[in-house]
Amino acid sequence: MAPVTPSDDELFDVISKEALIDRATLTREANLEDLGIASLDVISVLFEVEERFGILVEAEELTDCKTLGQLMDKVKAKAQAAASA
Amino acid sequence: MNRIAVTGLGAISALGASLEENWQAAVAGRPGIARTRMGDGEHGPGGLELPMARVADGYQAAVDAALGRPVMAGLDPFARFILAPALEALEQSGLRGHEVLTERTAVVFGHGFGGLATLEAGYERYFGMKSPRMHPSTVPRGMMSAGVSAVAMTFEIRGPVFATSSACASSAHAIAQGASMIAMGQVDAALVGGSEAISTAGSVRAWEAIKAMSPTACRPFSADRDGMVLGEGGAVLALEAWDHAKARGATILGELVGWGMSSDAFHITQPSPEGQARAMRQAATQAKALDRDDILVSAHGTGTPLNDAAETQSLVEVFGAQARKLPVTATKSAHGHLIGGSAALQAAIGLRALAEGVAPPIQNFTARDPACDLDLVIGDARKINSRLLLQNAFAFGGLNVALMFASAKA
Repeated sequence: MAPVTPSDDELFDVISKEALIDRATLTREANLEDLGIASLDVISVLFEVEERFGILVEAEELTDCKTLGQLMDKVKAKAQAAASA
Repeated sequence: MNRIAVTGLGAISALGASLEENWQAAVAGRPGIARTRMGDGEHGPGGLELPMARVADGYQAAVDAALGRPVMAGLDPFARFILAPALEALEQSGLRGHEVLTERTAVVFGHGFGGLATLEAGYERYFGMKSPRMHPSTVPRGMMSAGVSAVAMTFEIRGPVFATSSACASSAHAIAQGASMIAMGQVDAALVGGSEAISTAGSVRAWEAIKAMSPTACRPFSADRDGMVLGEGGAVLALEAWDHAKARGATILGELVGWGMSSDAFHITQPSPEGQARAMRQAATQAKALDRDDILVSAHGTGTPLNDAAETQSLVEVFGAQARKLPVTATKSAHGHLIGGSAALQAAIGLRALAEGVAPPIQNFTARDPACDLDLVIGDARKINSRLLLQNAFAFGGLNVALMFASAKA
Protein backbone atom coordinates (compact mmCIF):
# COMPACT_ATOMS: atom_id res chain seq x y z
CA MET A 1 0.00 0.00 0.00
CA ALA A 2 1.05 3.59 -0.54
CA PRO A 3 2.25 5.20 2.67
CA VAL A 4 -0.26 7.42 4.46
CA THR A 5 0.75 10.06 6.99
CA PRO A 6 -1.23 9.32 10.16
CA SER A 7 -2.73 12.00 12.40
CA ASP A 8 -1.80 12.31 16.07
CA ASP A 9 -5.18 10.85 17.00
CA GLU A 10 -4.65 7.83 14.76
CA LEU A 11 -1.23 7.21 16.29
CA PHE A 12 -2.58 7.61 19.82
CA ASP A 13 -5.18 4.96 18.95
CA VAL A 14 -2.52 2.52 17.77
CA ILE A 15 -0.27 3.14 20.78
CA SER A 16 -3.16 2.78 23.21
CA LYS A 17 -4.21 -0.51 21.65
CA GLU A 18 -0.78 -2.08 21.23
CA ALA A 19 0.83 -0.95 24.49
CA LEU A 20 -2.40 -1.38 26.49
CA ILE A 21 -2.35 2.16 27.83
CA ASP A 22 -5.46 4.16 28.63
CA ARG A 23 -6.03 6.43 25.61
CA ALA A 24 -6.81 9.42 27.88
CA THR A 25 -3.33 9.40 29.43
CA LEU A 26 -1.54 9.72 26.07
CA THR A 27 -0.17 13.18 25.23
CA ARG A 28 2.64 14.37 22.98
CA GLU A 29 4.60 15.44 26.07
CA ALA A 30 4.31 12.07 27.84
CA ASN A 31 7.62 10.36 28.53
CA LEU A 32 7.91 6.84 27.04
CA GLU A 33 9.56 5.48 30.15
CA ASP A 34 6.94 6.98 32.47
CA LEU A 35 4.21 5.40 30.33
CA GLY A 36 5.87 2.01 30.86
CA ILE A 37 6.27 1.42 27.12
CA ALA A 38 8.67 -1.52 26.81
CA SER A 39 10.73 -2.35 23.73
CA LEU A 40 8.27 -5.08 22.72
CA ASP A 41 5.46 -2.52 22.89
CA VAL A 42 7.38 -0.26 20.51
CA ILE A 43 7.84 -3.15 18.06
CA SER A 44 4.13 -3.93 18.31
CA VAL A 45 3.27 -0.29 17.62
CA LEU A 46 5.59 -0.23 14.60
CA PHE A 47 4.04 -3.45 13.31
CA GLU A 48 0.57 -1.87 13.46
CA VAL A 49 1.86 1.35 11.91
CA GLU A 50 3.11 -0.66 8.94
CA GLU A 51 -0.17 -2.57 8.73
CA ARG A 52 -2.42 0.47 8.88
CA PHE A 53 -0.40 3.22 7.21
CA GLY A 54 2.11 1.35 5.06
CA ILE A 55 5.08 2.98 6.78
CA LEU A 56 8.11 0.84 7.54
CA VAL A 57 9.97 2.09 10.63
CA GLU A 58 12.63 0.04 12.39
CA ALA A 59 12.83 0.15 16.18
CA GLU A 60 16.49 1.19 15.93
CA GLU A 61 15.41 4.47 14.32
CA LEU A 62 13.56 5.44 17.51
CA THR A 63 16.28 4.93 20.11
CA ASP A 64 16.72 8.71 20.60
CA CYS A 65 13.01 9.32 21.22
CA LYS A 66 12.17 10.23 24.80
CA THR A 67 8.59 11.47 24.42
CA LEU A 68 5.55 10.25 22.52
CA GLY A 69 5.62 13.42 20.41
CA GLN A 70 9.18 12.69 19.27
CA LEU A 71 8.22 9.12 18.39
CA MET A 72 5.14 10.22 16.46
CA ASP A 73 7.05 12.91 14.57
CA LYS A 74 9.63 10.34 13.50
CA VAL A 75 6.88 8.06 12.17
CA LYS A 76 5.24 10.95 10.30
CA ALA A 77 8.55 12.09 8.84
CA LYS A 78 9.15 8.59 7.49
CA ALA A 79 5.68 8.58 5.94
CA GLN A 80 6.24 11.91 4.25
CA ALA A 81 9.68 10.92 3.01
CA ALA A 82 8.27 7.67 1.60
CA ALA A 83 5.35 9.49 -0.04
CA SER A 84 7.60 12.02 -1.78
CA ALA A 85 10.18 9.42 -2.82
CA MET B 1 -0.15 -34.04 54.71
CA ASN B 2 -2.14 -30.84 54.62
CA ARG B 3 -5.85 -31.11 53.83
CA ILE B 4 -6.96 -29.20 50.74
CA ALA B 5 -9.87 -26.75 50.94
CA VAL B 6 -11.58 -25.20 47.93
CA THR B 7 -12.27 -21.56 48.77
CA GLY B 8 -12.99 -20.01 45.39
CA LEU B 9 -14.42 -20.99 42.01
CA GLY B 10 -14.65 -19.21 38.68
CA ALA B 11 -15.83 -20.24 35.24
CA ILE B 12 -16.51 -19.03 31.72
CA SER B 13 -18.00 -21.01 28.84
CA ALA B 14 -20.81 -20.86 26.32
CA LEU B 15 -23.12 -21.18 29.34
CA GLY B 16 -22.03 -17.83 30.79
CA ALA B 17 -19.23 -15.67 32.11
CA SER B 18 -19.38 -16.73 35.77
CA LEU B 19 -19.79 -19.99 37.65
CA GLU B 20 -23.25 -18.85 38.75
CA GLU B 21 -24.36 -18.45 35.11
CA ASN B 22 -22.77 -21.79 34.20
CA TRP B 23 -24.49 -23.50 37.10
CA GLN B 24 -27.91 -21.98 36.42
CA ALA B 25 -27.74 -23.00 32.76
CA ALA B 26 -26.49 -26.51 33.52
CA VAL B 27 -29.08 -27.22 36.18
CA ALA B 28 -31.90 -25.84 34.01
CA GLY B 29 -30.75 -28.00 31.09
CA ARG B 30 -30.12 -24.95 28.89
CA PRO B 31 -27.83 -25.70 25.96
CA GLY B 32 -24.60 -23.86 25.26
CA ILE B 33 -24.22 -25.74 21.98
CA ALA B 34 -25.50 -24.16 18.77
CA ARG B 35 -24.90 -24.58 15.07
CA THR B 36 -22.00 -22.30 14.25
CA ARG B 37 -20.59 -21.10 10.97
CA MET B 38 -16.80 -20.87 11.08
CA GLY B 39 -15.13 -18.32 8.87
CA ASP B 40 -12.05 -19.56 7.08
CA GLY B 41 -10.44 -16.19 6.51
CA GLU B 42 -9.38 -14.68 3.23
CA HIS B 43 -7.09 -17.54 2.30
CA GLY B 44 -9.01 -20.53 3.66
CA PRO B 45 -10.88 -23.04 1.50
CA GLY B 46 -14.32 -21.90 2.68
CA GLY B 47 -16.32 -21.90 5.91
CA LEU B 48 -17.57 -24.90 7.83
CA GLU B 49 -20.82 -25.21 9.78
CA LEU B 50 -21.08 -27.49 12.77
CA PRO B 51 -22.40 -27.61 16.33
CA MET B 52 -20.10 -25.81 18.78
CA ALA B 53 -20.29 -24.10 22.16
CA ARG B 54 -18.61 -20.72 21.91
CA VAL B 55 -18.17 -18.03 24.53
CA ALA B 56 -20.22 -14.87 23.91
CA ASP B 57 -17.97 -11.87 23.42
CA GLY B 58 -18.33 -8.88 25.71
CA TYR B 59 -17.11 -10.38 29.00
CA GLN B 60 -13.72 -8.67 28.65
CA ALA B 61 -14.86 -5.18 29.70
CA ALA B 62 -15.98 -6.32 33.15
CA VAL B 63 -12.61 -7.99 33.78
CA ASP B 64 -10.66 -4.88 32.68
CA ALA B 65 -12.92 -2.73 34.86
CA ALA B 66 -12.35 -4.98 37.89
CA LEU B 67 -8.59 -4.87 37.30
CA GLY B 68 -8.61 -1.11 36.78
CA ARG B 69 -6.58 -1.27 33.57
CA PRO B 70 -6.78 -2.79 30.09
CA VAL B 71 -5.34 -6.29 30.20
CA MET B 72 -7.63 -8.49 28.10
CA ALA B 73 -6.81 -6.93 24.71
CA GLY B 74 -3.18 -8.00 25.06
CA LEU B 75 -4.02 -11.69 25.53
CA ASP B 76 -4.89 -14.60 23.30
CA PRO B 77 -8.44 -15.87 23.94
CA PHE B 78 -7.09 -18.94 25.79
CA ALA B 79 -5.38 -16.65 28.32
CA ARG B 80 -8.47 -14.43 28.62
CA PHE B 81 -10.45 -17.58 29.35
CA ILE B 82 -8.23 -18.26 32.37
CA LEU B 83 -7.75 -14.69 33.64
CA ALA B 84 -11.50 -14.09 33.87
CA PRO B 85 -12.27 -17.14 36.07
CA ALA B 86 -9.04 -16.59 38.06
CA LEU B 87 -10.32 -13.15 39.04
CA GLU B 88 -13.70 -14.63 39.98
CA ALA B 89 -12.14 -17.42 42.06
CA LEU B 90 -9.73 -15.08 43.82
CA GLU B 91 -12.48 -12.62 44.68
CA GLN B 92 -14.73 -15.36 46.03
CA SER B 93 -11.90 -16.79 48.12
CA GLY B 94 -11.06 -13.38 49.57
CA LEU B 95 -7.42 -13.97 48.59
CA ARG B 96 -7.12 -11.10 46.09
CA GLY B 97 -4.43 -8.85 47.52
CA HIS B 98 -3.77 -11.28 50.41
CA GLU B 99 -0.15 -11.61 51.55
CA VAL B 100 -0.17 -15.36 50.85
CA LEU B 101 0.00 -14.51 47.13
CA THR B 102 3.42 -12.94 47.44
CA GLU B 103 5.42 -16.14 47.84
CA ARG B 104 3.26 -18.95 49.18
CA THR B 105 0.81 -19.36 46.29
CA ALA B 106 1.17 -21.44 43.14
CA VAL B 107 -0.51 -20.98 39.77
CA VAL B 108 -0.95 -24.12 37.67
CA PHE B 109 -3.25 -24.14 34.65
CA GLY B 110 -3.72 -26.84 32.03
CA HIS B 111 -4.21 -26.24 28.32
CA GLY B 112 -4.18 -28.70 25.46
CA PHE B 113 -3.01 -26.20 22.88
CA GLY B 114 -2.27 -22.64 23.96
CA GLY B 115 -2.73 -19.59 21.76
CA LEU B 116 -4.14 -20.99 18.55
CA ALA B 117 -5.86 -17.76 17.47
CA THR B 118 -2.56 -15.90 17.76
CA LEU B 119 -0.63 -18.59 15.89
CA GLU B 120 -3.21 -18.95 13.14
CA ALA B 121 -3.30 -15.19 12.55
CA GLY B 122 0.48 -15.22 12.28
CA TYR B 123 0.56 -18.21 9.96
CA GLU B 124 -2.15 -16.71 7.77
CA ARG B 125 0.10 -13.69 7.30
CA TYR B 126 3.09 -15.87 6.57
CA PHE B 127 1.65 -18.68 4.41
CA GLY B 128 -1.48 -16.94 3.14
CA MET B 129 -0.41 -13.35 2.62
CA LYS B 130 3.26 -14.25 2.07
CA SER B 131 4.24 -11.55 4.55
CA PRO B 132 7.67 -12.09 6.08
CA ARG B 133 6.72 -10.15 9.23
CA MET B 134 4.83 -11.62 12.14
CA HIS B 135 3.23 -9.61 14.91
CA PRO B 136 5.91 -9.31 17.59
CA SER B 137 3.51 -10.58 20.23
CA THR B 138 2.98 -13.87 18.41
CA VAL B 139 5.33 -15.81 20.68
CA PRO B 140 4.55 -14.21 24.07
CA ARG B 141 0.80 -14.39 23.43
CA GLY B 142 0.78 -17.82 21.88
CA MET B 143 2.99 -19.76 24.26
CA MET B 144 1.28 -22.29 26.49
CA SER B 145 2.42 -20.49 29.66
CA ALA B 146 0.95 -17.12 28.59
CA GLY B 147 -2.11 -17.84 30.74
CA VAL B 148 -0.31 -18.62 33.99
CA SER B 149 2.03 -15.67 33.42
CA ALA B 150 -0.88 -13.29 32.82
CA VAL B 151 -2.52 -14.39 36.07
CA ALA B 152 0.72 -14.28 38.07
CA MET B 153 1.55 -10.78 36.79
CA THR B 154 -1.98 -9.45 37.21
CA PHE B 155 -2.32 -10.60 40.81
CA GLU B 156 1.39 -10.42 41.74
CA ILE B 157 1.68 -14.10 42.61
CA ARG B 158 5.32 -15.04 43.08
CA GLY B 159 5.29 -18.74 44.02
CA PRO B 160 5.65 -21.73 41.64
CA VAL B 161 3.92 -20.86 38.34
CA PHE B 162 3.69 -23.21 35.36
CA ALA B 163 1.34 -24.80 32.83
CA THR B 164 0.47 -28.47 32.41
CA SER B 165 -0.52 -30.12 29.16
CA SER B 166 -2.22 -33.48 28.74
CA ALA B 167 -4.89 -32.79 26.10
CA CYS B 168 -8.35 -33.33 27.61
CA ALA B 169 -6.96 -33.99 31.10
CA SER B 170 -4.76 -30.87 31.28
CA SER B 171 -6.71 -28.99 33.93
CA ALA B 172 -7.15 -32.15 36.00
CA HIS B 173 -3.38 -32.61 36.06
CA ALA B 174 -3.08 -28.92 37.01
CA ILE B 175 -5.47 -29.41 39.92
CA ALA B 176 -3.48 -32.47 41.05
CA GLN B 177 -0.20 -30.55 40.87
CA GLY B 178 -1.51 -27.62 42.88
CA ALA B 179 -3.02 -29.99 45.43
CA SER B 180 0.24 -31.92 45.79
CA MET B 181 2.19 -28.73 46.47
CA ILE B 182 -0.27 -27.72 49.18
CA ALA B 183 -0.34 -31.23 50.65
CA MET B 184 3.47 -31.23 50.86
CA GLY B 185 3.56 -27.79 52.43
CA GLN B 186 5.43 -26.17 49.53
CA VAL B 187 2.72 -23.53 49.25
CA ASP B 188 -0.34 -22.50 51.26
CA ALA B 189 -2.59 -21.76 48.30
CA ALA B 190 -2.85 -22.57 44.60
CA LEU B 191 -4.90 -21.23 41.73
CA VAL B 192 -5.52 -24.26 39.54
CA GLY B 193 -7.66 -25.07 36.54
CA GLY B 194 -7.40 -24.69 32.81
CA SER B 195 -8.75 -23.17 29.65
CA GLU B 196 -8.93 -23.67 25.93
CA ALA B 197 -9.71 -21.57 22.86
CA ILE B 198 -9.84 -24.07 20.03
CA SER B 199 -12.65 -22.60 17.97
CA THR B 200 -10.32 -21.16 15.38
CA ALA B 201 -10.76 -21.89 11.70
CA GLY B 202 -7.72 -24.10 11.28
CA SER B 203 -8.14 -25.92 14.56
CA VAL B 204 -11.78 -26.80 13.90
CA ARG B 205 -10.77 -28.31 10.56
CA ALA B 206 -8.11 -30.36 12.33
CA TRP B 207 -10.65 -31.63 14.87
CA GLU B 208 -13.06 -32.46 12.08
CA ALA B 209 -10.35 -34.57 10.44
CA ILE B 210 -10.31 -36.95 13.42
CA LYS B 211 -13.93 -37.88 12.61
CA ALA B 212 -14.83 -37.81 16.30
CA MET B 213 -17.07 -34.73 16.06
CA SER B 214 -20.82 -35.00 16.24
CA PRO B 215 -22.72 -33.43 13.33
CA THR B 216 -25.70 -32.92 15.64
CA ALA B 217 -25.11 -32.60 19.41
CA CYS B 218 -23.17 -34.01 22.35
CA ARG B 219 -25.29 -36.78 23.90
CA PRO B 220 -23.14 -38.68 26.42
CA PHE B 221 -24.12 -42.29 27.20
CA SER B 222 -27.09 -42.14 24.80
CA ALA B 223 -27.46 -45.11 22.42
CA ASP B 224 -27.30 -42.81 19.40
CA ARG B 225 -24.32 -40.75 20.57
CA ASP B 226 -22.22 -39.80 17.59
CA GLY B 227 -19.29 -37.76 18.81
CA MET B 228 -18.03 -34.81 20.75
CA VAL B 229 -18.78 -31.11 20.35
CA LEU B 230 -16.07 -28.50 20.72
CA GLY B 231 -16.51 -25.89 23.42
CA GLU B 232 -14.28 -23.15 24.75
CA GLY B 233 -13.68 -21.29 27.98
CA GLY B 234 -12.04 -22.11 31.26
CA ALA B 235 -12.41 -22.56 35.00
CA VAL B 236 -10.32 -21.91 38.09
CA LEU B 237 -10.38 -23.33 41.60
CA ALA B 238 -8.71 -21.54 44.49
CA LEU B 239 -7.22 -24.33 46.60
CA GLU B 240 -5.88 -23.64 50.05
CA ALA B 241 -4.36 -25.52 52.94
CA TRP B 242 -7.29 -26.37 55.20
CA ASP B 243 -5.75 -24.79 58.30
CA HIS B 244 -4.80 -21.65 56.37
CA ALA B 245 -8.37 -21.26 55.15
CA LYS B 246 -9.78 -21.90 58.63
CA ALA B 247 -7.36 -19.50 60.31
CA ARG B 248 -8.48 -16.59 58.15
CA GLY B 249 -12.15 -17.50 58.46
CA ALA B 250 -12.62 -18.32 54.78
CA THR B 251 -15.80 -19.94 53.52
CA ILE B 252 -14.90 -23.50 52.52
CA LEU B 253 -16.76 -24.67 49.40
CA GLY B 254 -15.48 -28.24 49.40
CA GLU B 255 -12.43 -30.39 50.00
CA LEU B 256 -10.21 -32.21 47.55
CA VAL B 257 -9.83 -35.60 49.21
CA GLY B 258 -8.26 -37.74 46.48
CA TRP B 259 -6.49 -37.50 43.17
CA GLY B 260 -5.27 -40.33 41.00
CA MET B 261 -3.29 -40.28 37.77
CA SER B 262 -2.41 -43.01 35.28
CA SER B 263 -1.35 -43.63 31.71
CA ASP B 264 -2.78 -46.35 29.45
CA ALA B 265 0.45 -46.67 27.45
CA PHE B 266 -1.84 -48.13 24.79
CA HIS B 267 -3.15 -45.90 21.99
CA ILE B 268 -3.00 -42.24 20.99
CA THR B 269 -6.79 -41.89 20.62
CA GLN B 270 -8.49 -45.07 21.90
CA PRO B 271 -9.31 -45.24 25.61
CA SER B 272 -8.50 -48.17 27.90
CA PRO B 273 -10.85 -48.98 30.80
CA GLU B 274 -7.96 -50.52 32.71
CA GLY B 275 -5.96 -47.29 32.77
CA GLN B 276 -9.00 -45.19 33.64
CA ALA B 277 -9.89 -47.58 36.47
CA ARG B 278 -6.41 -47.26 37.98
CA ALA B 279 -6.74 -43.47 38.20
CA MET B 280 -10.21 -43.73 39.74
CA ARG B 281 -9.12 -46.42 42.20
CA GLN B 282 -6.20 -44.27 43.38
CA ALA B 283 -8.46 -41.27 43.96
CA ALA B 284 -11.16 -43.33 45.67
CA THR B 285 -8.61 -45.15 47.84
CA GLN B 286 -7.00 -41.91 48.99
CA ALA B 287 -10.47 -40.57 49.75
CA LYS B 288 -11.46 -43.85 51.52
CA ALA B 289 -14.46 -43.89 49.21
CA LEU B 290 -14.25 -47.28 47.47
CA ASP B 291 -17.40 -48.58 49.16
CA ARG B 292 -19.28 -45.32 49.48
CA ASP B 293 -22.68 -45.04 47.85
CA ASP B 294 -23.00 -41.25 48.15
CA ILE B 295 -20.80 -40.30 45.21
CA LEU B 296 -21.93 -38.05 42.36
CA VAL B 297 -20.02 -39.03 39.22
CA SER B 298 -19.23 -36.15 36.88
CA ALA B 299 -18.20 -38.27 33.94
CA HIS B 300 -15.60 -37.45 31.36
CA GLY B 301 -18.57 -38.26 29.09
CA THR B 302 -17.51 -36.87 25.74
CA GLY B 303 -20.36 -38.44 23.78
CA THR B 304 -18.15 -40.56 21.54
CA PRO B 305 -19.19 -44.21 21.17
CA LEU B 306 -15.89 -45.54 22.56
CA ASN B 307 -15.35 -43.15 25.46
CA ASP B 308 -18.67 -43.54 27.18
CA ALA B 309 -18.68 -47.34 26.97
CA ALA B 310 -15.10 -47.49 28.29
CA GLU B 311 -15.94 -45.09 31.13
CA THR B 312 -18.92 -47.26 32.09
CA GLN B 313 -16.67 -50.32 32.18
CA SER B 314 -14.02 -48.60 34.28
CA LEU B 315 -16.58 -47.29 36.79
CA VAL B 316 -17.94 -50.83 37.22
CA GLU B 317 -14.42 -52.21 37.55
CA VAL B 318 -13.66 -49.82 40.43
CA PHE B 319 -16.99 -49.62 42.27
CA GLY B 320 -18.47 -53.04 41.40
CA ALA B 321 -22.25 -53.41 41.43
CA GLN B 322 -22.38 -50.17 43.44
CA ALA B 323 -21.30 -48.26 40.31
CA ARG B 324 -24.77 -48.68 38.83
CA LYS B 325 -26.32 -46.93 41.84
CA LEU B 326 -24.20 -43.78 41.65
CA PRO B 327 -25.85 -40.81 39.91
CA VAL B 328 -23.88 -39.92 36.79
CA THR B 329 -23.97 -36.56 35.05
CA ALA B 330 -22.01 -35.39 32.00
CA THR B 331 -22.09 -31.64 31.49
CA LYS B 332 -20.09 -31.62 28.26
CA SER B 333 -23.57 -32.09 26.82
CA ALA B 334 -24.22 -28.49 27.93
CA HIS B 335 -20.92 -26.62 27.56
CA GLY B 336 -19.18 -28.79 24.97
CA HIS B 337 -15.67 -30.13 25.34
CA LEU B 338 -13.25 -27.49 26.60
CA ILE B 339 -10.34 -29.92 26.10
CA GLY B 340 -7.75 -28.61 28.60
CA GLY B 341 -10.40 -26.64 30.49
CA SER B 342 -13.05 -29.35 30.79
CA ALA B 343 -12.12 -31.05 34.04
CA ALA B 344 -11.88 -27.78 35.97
CA LEU B 345 -15.21 -26.51 34.62
CA GLN B 346 -16.95 -29.81 35.31
CA ALA B 347 -15.44 -29.99 38.80
CA ALA B 348 -16.60 -26.43 39.55
CA ILE B 349 -20.14 -27.26 38.39
CA GLY B 350 -19.95 -30.57 40.31
CA LEU B 351 -18.95 -28.80 43.53
CA ARG B 352 -21.99 -26.56 43.16
CA ALA B 353 -24.09 -29.67 42.61
CA LEU B 354 -22.84 -31.14 45.92
CA ALA B 355 -23.50 -27.85 47.72
CA GLU B 356 -27.01 -27.48 46.29
CA GLY B 357 -27.92 -31.18 46.53
CA VAL B 358 -28.95 -31.15 42.86
CA ALA B 359 -27.31 -32.87 39.88
CA PRO B 360 -27.60 -31.15 36.48
CA PRO B 361 -29.02 -33.35 33.74
CA ILE B 362 -27.24 -34.91 30.78
CA GLN B 363 -28.62 -32.98 27.80
CA ASN B 364 -29.67 -34.35 24.40
CA PHE B 365 -30.12 -37.89 25.76
CA THR B 366 -32.54 -39.95 23.68
CA ALA B 367 -32.19 -43.69 24.35
CA ARG B 368 -30.45 -46.06 26.75
CA ASP B 369 -27.45 -48.07 25.63
CA PRO B 370 -26.86 -51.45 27.35
CA ALA B 371 -23.13 -50.68 27.22
CA CYS B 372 -23.74 -47.60 29.43
CA ASP B 373 -26.08 -49.06 32.06
CA LEU B 374 -25.45 -46.47 34.76
CA ASP B 375 -27.80 -44.37 36.87
CA LEU B 376 -27.74 -41.48 34.41
CA VAL B 377 -29.22 -38.13 35.39
CA ILE B 378 -31.47 -37.52 32.38
CA GLY B 379 -34.51 -35.35 31.78
CA ASP B 380 -34.63 -32.79 34.58
CA ALA B 381 -32.06 -31.98 37.25
CA ARG B 382 -32.25 -34.46 40.12
CA LYS B 383 -32.09 -34.04 43.89
CA ILE B 384 -29.12 -35.96 45.28
CA ASN B 385 -27.77 -36.86 48.68
CA SER B 386 -24.21 -37.19 47.44
CA ARG B 387 -21.40 -36.11 49.75
CA LEU B 388 -18.59 -36.87 47.31
CA LEU B 389 -17.89 -35.83 43.74
CA LEU B 390 -15.85 -37.99 41.39
CA GLN B 391 -14.51 -35.94 38.48
CA ASN B 392 -13.06 -37.97 35.64
CA ALA B 393 -10.77 -36.68 32.89
CA PHE B 394 -9.44 -39.03 30.23
CA ALA B 395 -7.23 -37.62 27.51
CA PHE B 396 -6.05 -38.64 24.07
CA GLY B 397 -2.87 -40.61 24.50
CA GLY B 398 -4.41 -42.49 27.43
CA LEU B 399 -3.66 -39.91 30.12
CA ASN B 400 -6.14 -40.31 32.96
CA VAL B 401 -6.94 -38.28 36.06
CA ALA B 402 -9.65 -38.84 38.64
CA LEU B 403 -10.37 -36.25 41.32
CA MET B 404 -12.49 -36.88 44.42
CA PHE B 405 -13.99 -33.89 46.21
CA ALA B 406 -16.01 -33.89 49.43
CA SER B 407 -18.92 -31.61 50.20
CA ALA B 408 -18.19 -28.76 52.60
CA LYS B 409 -21.28 -29.69 54.59
CA ALA B 410 -20.45 -31.42 57.87
